[in-house]
Amino acid sequence: MIELEHLEKRYKNAVPLADVNAVIHDGEVISIIGPSGTGKSTLIRCIDMLERPTGGKIILDGENICARGYDVTKARRKMGMVFQSFHLFGHLNVIENIMQAQVDILKRSKKEAYETGMKLLQRVGLASKENNYPDELSGGQQQRIAIARTLAMDPEVILFDEPTSALDPTMVGEVQSVIRDLARMDKTMLIVTHEMNFARAICSRVFYMDQGGIYEDGTPEQIFDHPQRDLTKRFVQNLRVLTLTIDGEYFDMAGAGTEIDCYCLQNDIPPRTKYRICLAVEELASHLLRPVLAHAPIRITVEYSGKDGNAEVLAFYGGDKFDPAHSGNGFSYQVLQSTVSSLSYRYDPDADQPNVVKVLI
Amino acid sequence: MKIGRSMSVILMILLLASSALLLGASGRQEEGITSLEQLNQPGIQIGVASDSTEFDIVQKEFPKAEIVYTKDLMSSFISVAQGKIDAFVSNKLNMELAMKNGLEGVRILDGTIGEGNVGAVAISPVTEIPDLKNQINQFLRQIKKDGTLDEIRERWLVKHDMIMPEIPEAADPKLRLIVGTTGLSEPFNCYVDGELSGYDIELAKRFALWADMSLAFKIYDYEGIIAAAQGGDVDCIFANLYVTPERQEVIEFSDPTYEVEVAAMVQDTGSGAAANRQGSSQKATGAGFLNYLKESFLKTFIREDRWQLFVEGIVTTLLLTILSILLGTLIGFCVFLICRRGNRVANTITRFCIWLIEGMPVVVLLMILYYIVFAGAKIPGTAVSVIAFTLIFAAAVFSMLKAGVAAVGTGQMEAAYALGYADRKAFFKIILPQALPHVMPSYKSQIKSLIKATAVVGYVAVQDLTKMGDIVRSRTYDAFFPLIAVAVFYFLLAGFLIWIVNRIEIRAFARRRPGEGARKGSES
Repeated sequence: MIELEHLEKRYKNAVPLADVNAVIHDGEVISIIGPSGTGKSTLIRCIDMLERPTGGKIILDGENICARGYDVTKARRKMGMVFQSFHLFGHLNVIENIMQAQVDILKRSKKEAYETGMKLLQRVGLASKENNYPDELSGGQQQRIAIARTLAMDPEVILFDEPTSALDPTMVGEVQSVIRDLARMDKTMLIVTHEMNFARAICSRVFYMDQGGIYEDGTPEQIFDHPQRDLTKRFVQNLRVLTLTIDGEYFDMAGAGTEIDCYCLQNDIPPRTKYRICLAVEELASHLLRPVLAHAPIRITVEYSGKDGNAEVLAFYGGDKFDPAHSGNGFSYQVLQSTVSSLSYRYDPDADQPNVVKVLI
Repeated sequence: MKIGRSMSVILMILLLASSALLLGASGRQEEGITSLEQLNQPGIQIGVASDSTEFDIVQKEFPKAEIVYTKDLMSSFISVAQGKIDAFVSNKLNMELAMKNGLEGVRILDGTIGEGNVGAVAISPVTEIPDLKNQINQFLRQIKKDGTLDEIRERWLVKHDMIMPEIPEAADPKLRLIVGTTGLSEPFNCYVDGELSGYDIELAKRFALWADMSLAFKIYDYEGIIAAAQGGDVDCIFANLYVTPERQEVIEFSDPTYEVEVAAMVQDTGSGAAANRQGSSQKATGAGFLNYLKESFLKTFIREDRWQLFVEGIVTTLLLTILSILLGTLIGFCVFLICRRGNRVANTITRFCIWLIEGMPVVVLLMILYYIVFAGAKIPGTAVSVIAFTLIFAAAVFSMLKAGVAAVGTGQMEAAYALGYADRKAFFKIILPQALPHVMPSYKSQIKSLIKATAVVGYVAVQDLTKMGDIVRSRTYDAFFPLIAVAVFYFLLAGFLIWIVNRIEIRAFARRRPGEGARKGSES
């Protein structure tokens, strides 16, 4: 069992881990997902003590491994780590890579180490490569050997730091299938990954990391299908968000159009959708709301989901309750209605800008 | 393409122009110099040995000429013969002797310059032998009186027999006398049949016997010999050393041991010149050239068993190099281990030391160690040289290791940590084996540089290969064979050491293939 208590890692100019708390039970297979730079790798590197945390505790089987004077090699022997760029030992051939640490650290005999190594090589499907050197193998093969090397040490916990990120897309599958095979064993596994489908298929629990900690923690169904919190939702649905604030008499509508163009281009939004987004924003802002609201600011949010290709335009504005359906401009409203797939209005009296128009495109 | 061609044309023109200039320069003395008066004019270059006293004399007698310093007598004579300098001013006796021994292409101008030089024994101001100066003077007075001095003078300076008489060693010496000399100045102190001989040497031996002391010689260049006496490395100097006011300021001199005339040597452009100019025309015709080679070879290696000098030199150079390589590698490696984990104090000290060692010419470092750092300690030049080159090599090894380990990348270390290796074990088992192949190429070239760099140890009284070449040259007055031989021996030495390193390298880093390595141990 691993317990993380207020774990913190601070660099001079960044704080990847501000406050991480979690309990990892034996046998759990946990995927760690989240946008880049949110400390996923830092977290598992801290657990293996390759990075020293600047605060908090990591309790492994009842011992705080961050404590001063604790021999970290003792903790590392219970854990194995698979790196993004494999880090096979270049001066040793495949079987020696797997044997070396068994002989040096576990004090196994050469014969025993060799037999264990060959068994594991068979398991990852590379027994025929025992005498090759790492630089003679493909990335996928190297990563499978790195996994075998880790398994040879009989770790209780295996940490995977983006095991497929450095691979050619054609080799991702072979490595994933090896990891999938391992997930059926009883070992605790923590996998940092960007491959959502893979994570979903093998893990029993998901950490979504953001804002310096574990932002949302749940089963794959909870996280991927029913995310509770905004950032999780945005991430798992691959939402791209653009926010515009339209205020004052002299707002540059043409400039806003360019900004939407840019956003669409960057996120690879199809031209049809783009056209509709532009139209919706223009009709809403310039023709339906502006004449009524005079100079009060309107906040427009455009969200595009890379996952299903849906786009959504939201307009927030202040003042009294006002449904654009009842504006004087019936023509514009009809144009808008006929372009988009749904158009709704709600009034939320507690919010800063209580009027919300939601347009699904 | 076009640019390349025009570039090569420009290069050709430059080459032609520079060679024309060189030819012009060497051809400027066609008429030759026939009298001393001709030397006193602008554009004339007069050489004086950098360690000699002739500078003052030349400046006084030929104020218009340009004075250049030359290294030792032999180099100076050859410079004159080859027309590199117009004249060389020195001890007349040395010149006559050199010509008698086969130096060609030069002439001694009639007449003497100035009042001549006075040679004497120089006495170290810090010698532990009581009353050394008075003892030497007393001895000189006595041998003058009983005719021994005349006998010695006759033997070495008049007849040039070059045969050292048997002089017994003191039977029951109470003190040990360490005498500095050069071995480069025939007939005063030079090597005959591989043994130190000459006027000064005989004097020194007789004095040791007379004063009941045991005797040891130490060999220096003229540049370093006075400093050696000042520092107390030797008790006195028997080396054809002239008395000058400047020298008298730093060191004491005995009564004169001999007086000598100063003369000028110029290139011989007279009747026999064509044949003489370092035998150039002679060499050009086949048979003559072969004869010259044969003669030169015999002179350099066979006569007086001079090959033994080369062997001694090779052994010294090899010993020096191998010791420095072994110690330097060891020290460099240990320092690297200490600094490896980024200890700030250790790194700062190391950086400073390396900055110091790498920042100065080898020969300066060597002399600073010898004449300043270890001045008081009675440490032989060989040991100081080993220390200096060990430091230099250690600095190089440290930097190589740093670069080699950096080339391995931090990932390997992390992978080792993750498998449960402790720091030191990870370094030796995982990092070092991968760093060494990166290090080896520069390690080998460093070995080659080191062998060549050791050529300067002559400055601190070590008789290595280069120094032995100089000693032989000073006797044969022929640059060709000694220099070529020395060069060839350096090639062979470097080749030999690199061969050894290659053997080790192949054993250590070859990739093992099926049937070897891993399986070997596992199937037993």
